[in-house]
Amino acid sequence: MKNSIKVQRAMRDMTQADLAKHIGVSRQSINAIEKNKYVPSTVLALKIAKLFNTKVEDIFFLEGNE
Amino acid sequence: MKTNYLLPNKYKTLGWILFTLGIILGIILYISDYESEALTTKVLSIYSGETILGNDGGYFQIIENSIIDELITLAIIIGGLLVGFTKEKVEDEFIYKLRKDSLVWALIFNYVVLILTTIFIYDFAYFDVLVFNMFTPLLFFVFRFNFLKFKSQSHEE
Repeated sequence: MKNSIKVQRAMRDMTQADLAKHIGVSRQSINAIEKNKYVPSTVLALKIAKLFNTKVEDIFFLEGNE
Repeated sequence: MKTNYLLPNKYKTLGWILFTLGIILGIILYISDYESEALTTKVLSIYSGETILGNDGGYFQIIENSIIDELITLAIIIGGLLVGFTKEKVEDEFIYKLRKDSLVWALIFNYVVLILTTIFIYDFAYFDVLVFNMFTPLLFFVFRFNFLKFKSQSHEE
């Protein structure tokens, strides 16, 4: 699974720390999610989408043969 | 992330102090002499003897014993538990996963080491290994958990 969190952040001029604070997780989590090292729970994905005011599908998407 | 087995974050510093102090003193004690005479005092022994199932032991006695090794053992174990099982400043699902993964790996690592030493280490050296084995799961757990936490903190652009 890939995600566009980094792009979404850049568009809103947010740092990883800002985003982490807004949705109440550690900065490590955001970092790990952006690097595709960690797949967030549905709750967290929904929270991120809500904050960015967009759909989950616009932030997280499946890759090739998943 | 809701967990019911984690202590408040404020105990973490105390944990680190006990843990490091315990390890340093433990190494010093190991290098110098196991049975030092330091802090010899009377202790309550529920059982003491050569072996657990032997007939030579005594139950519920007050015996004289140097408690330095006991104190160090307790410092490492309690310190390690505090370090590993206190809440992070921000406790979330990723941290939770790191902790759980580290625990699993610590257990696997520990038993792989134990298997190898069972096969290749003999005589009293084997009991030395067993003594180390009291601490290796905690050590490996704490090390891996904190290493991964530290690693995933870097590379902010």
